[in-house]
Amino acid sequence: MGVPLGFEGEATDAEVVRAVLAGDVERYAVLVRRYRDRYARYASRMLGSRDVAEDAVQDALVRAFDRLADCREPDKFAGWLFLILRNRCYAERRRRQRQERPLDSTDEMFAAPDRPDGAYEQVERAHALERALQHLTPEQREVFVLKHMEGLAYEEIAGVTGATVASLKMRMHRAYDRLRELMKEHL
Amino acid sequence: MMASYHPLVKRLLDGEVSLAELPPELQAEGEEALRLVGAADRAPVALSPALEERVMTAVRSHAASPGNRAWRWLNTPREVELRLRVRPWTVWAGALAAAAGLALLLVGRPASGPGPGSEARGGTRDSVFVRFVLYAPGARRVAVAGTFNQWDRSAAPLVPAGTSGVWTTTLALPVGQHQYAFVVDGARWVVDPAAPAVDDGFGRRNSVVAVTAQGAQL
Repeated sequence: MGVPLGFEGEATDAEVVRAVLAGDVERYAVLVRRYRDRYARYASRMLGSRDVAEDAVQDALVRAFDRLADCREPDKFAGWLFLILRNRCYAERRRRQRQERPLDSTDEMFAAPDRPDGAYEQVERAHALERALQHLTPEQREVFVLKHMEGLAYEEIAGVTGATVASLKMRMHRAYDRLRELMKEHL
Repeated sequence: MMASYHPLVKRLLDGEVSLAELPPELQAEGEEALRLVGAADRAPVALSPALEERVMTAVRSHAASPGNRAWRWLNTPREVELRLRVRPWTVWAGALAAAAGLALLLVGRPASGPGPGSEARGGTRDSVFVRFVLYAPGARRVAVAGTFNQWDRSAAPLVPAGTSGVWTTTLALPVGQHQYAFVVDGARWVVDPAAPAVDDGFGRRNSVVAVTAQGAQL
């Protein structure tokens, strides 16, 4: 018998996880709806393509279900799922590198909406940044995405990645210099 | 090649200083750097509406596979209610037989002394008593959490053995392989130093104990 739950919005992650583990597989849809888009931006920026990111998010959600019994702290499901997705993104980058198929940020994810004429430079700069991000190391790209796109503080990034704040700052500062070089035509 | 950003400009990008706090000679560089990070697109990315159904289709398929069902069945704790109709003399006879069996087990397999690690003793046919031991001087509380109790940090507390810093508890674990870790003071996860450990796939280590009908193997 599943764990009794209230409305979907009221159920905590831990309650849903325990219900799924108790056999109520359909409850997993609550977690899918809750997190599918939350991590989409991270995956998209890390992989440089919304389509590839969608595959990664899908695989991460299925893998999380398969290993749900290993989720030590069900109330921290979000962080646990993020680690699965993060590993998946890194694995995808490595796979692409082996196949010499660099990910290219050219799909519609980055197609900028129509902007007033005065904003043309900003749009171009945004495109240039998306392209430049793909030339950083995965670690540099991740810290830039988490800080400047997801809005996390260094301490929060350290919490989800396991790296120290000092090493994160070092990566970020190298990323700033590399991005400056890559974007010199647009600054 | 362009020069690196000045350390103060990097601190500006990190949000540790404001543009106004930069010296005049770094103002232009600071403005340029702010244009760089200002180009970061923070708009939400929406994935296909069909993603949820694809995930749930895969999830239902995995849940229905025999191997997965067996694993979940083995891994899911459940409460079992037994209703027995017995004659009183059979209860006493059963208790005496159990006591005799336990005595035989203890004579045949002396317990080792305290120390880090885990050990196993006989249990029922389907479960084995496994003793968990952790040396954690200074800890206020210790528990063991694993696949056998859904990683519940409060389900299996250890008790201190005197004031020596040794904590211990004995659990009846079903036959099978279990992953576990100790939880010190409710927050710190500690692998069993006396047991093999495996990567949990997410950057952490879990200890492993394999329980067979003959006992536990570390």
